[in-house]
Amino acid sequence: MTTTHAGTEVTAHEVVAAGSPMLTRLADERATGAFLRAQGILYLAEGRIVHAESPSAPGLEVLLTVGGALPAQGWQEALTRAGARHEVGRDLVGSGRVSAGELELCHLGALFDAAFFVLGPASGPTHFRYGVTHWFGQVHPVPVAAVEREARRRRALLDSVWPCADVDTAPVVPRTPASDQTVTGRQRALLRLADGVRTPTAIAWALGRPTFHTLVEIRRMAAAGLVEPPRARVPAAARTVPGPLDCDEPNIALLRRLRDALEESL
Amino acid sequence: MPGIDECLLEAMTLPGARGAAIVDWTSGLALGSVGDSPNRDHEATAAETAEVARSAAEYRAFADVHDPFGSCTAADEAWGTDGTAAVEDTAADGTSRKGLPVEDLMLSTRNGFHVIRFVRTTFDSSVFLYLWLDRHTGNLALARMRLRDLSERLVLL
Repeated sequence: MTTTHAGTEVTAHEVVAAGSPMLTRLADERATGAFLRAQGILYLAEGRIVHAESPSAPGLEVLLTVGGALPAQGWQEALTRAGARHEVGRDLVGSGRVSAGELELCHLGALFDAAFFVLGPASGPTHFRYGVTHWFGQVHPVPVAAVEREARRRRALLDSVWPCADVDTAPVVPRTPASDQTVTGRQRALLRLADGVRTPTAIAWALGRPTFHTLVEIRRMAAAGLVEPPRARVPAAARTVPGPLDCDEPNIALLRRLRDALEESL
Repeated sequence: MPGIDECLLEAMTLPGARGAAIVDWTSGLALGSVGDSPNRDHEATAAETAEVARSAAEYRAFADVHDPFGSCTAADEAWGTDGTAAVEDTAADGTSRKGLPVEDLMLSTRNGFHVIRFVRTTFDSSVFLYLWLDRHTGNLALARMRLRDLSERLVLL
């Protein structure tokens, strides 16, 4: 639900993790519009990030209704009343549904969560559509540099907890904790939803908790042995080593996987 | 009902206040900060205080075994102290809030006081208020009470 005021669009092909020369330039020129990638959208207003959305991160609606005390109907009413004039956030506070402080905390949490995925390793082109604004309205604009720095720090934090990213996307399979092993309250809430089918992202949605926060817990539990590492779950047949390489025709897919694994372990 | 900035500026009016921040302890992100910070870098201070806050929030020594949001072991659960029925607080505005058993942390150093106050929100969060005070001009008891008040007013409707 976005509106385009100006049709101008810029496209760039970038493969940069947690940083983008295009985004820096847009911040410098105090641009307003939508920064679009396959992983999500960053909304800029006068060069600062005011909103972020990603299919990998639950939006404010989920955080406030599933994870919070806002009835879904309350959200819908605010959307109907104030969506067209791009003041949904202001309406939620004005109508007494959400306190100003909670809205700021929750909105910033959602912004940094979605931005982490938007600024992740890029696949495909990046577009910028000038003049586009988001219907939620501005809550707490954040400088582009701060968001990029935070995205880099978050990636490093995840890797320092547990360096294998495969737990981020695989279905979560709990392991029985040792009798004296501590499981935190937040981890137990997460494990209660781990049915061997739900991925960390699906659990984040079901809890109404930011995906990054769920990933941190999943990686900590992987390190503590509270969840199964995905590699151990691959069926024996799939784990068999491929036959001798035909040197005339190198197995490109295998080489790519090896390279990725080596880069990941660096 | 103040926002983040108003809340931090009010914390800075306390005697001896040198810096304040609102920090998310899962990510270590400062959602807002004012004044100075002990590291001369609010982001680094936020990441470090977040680790301290997380330890306090998660260690069983500071958990209430009857609290469904607290840490426990398989042995605790076997004894039925998990308390699967959700216990939530009802605040002055009639809304229930999710919270930890631990309320605040006070840490004294040779030159300063550091106060961490956990914020109870209606949504799933891991946020605390942080205040850095001068050791000689700061009033720890007053700061603790004011932070409690601020942490409640920040989320009050």
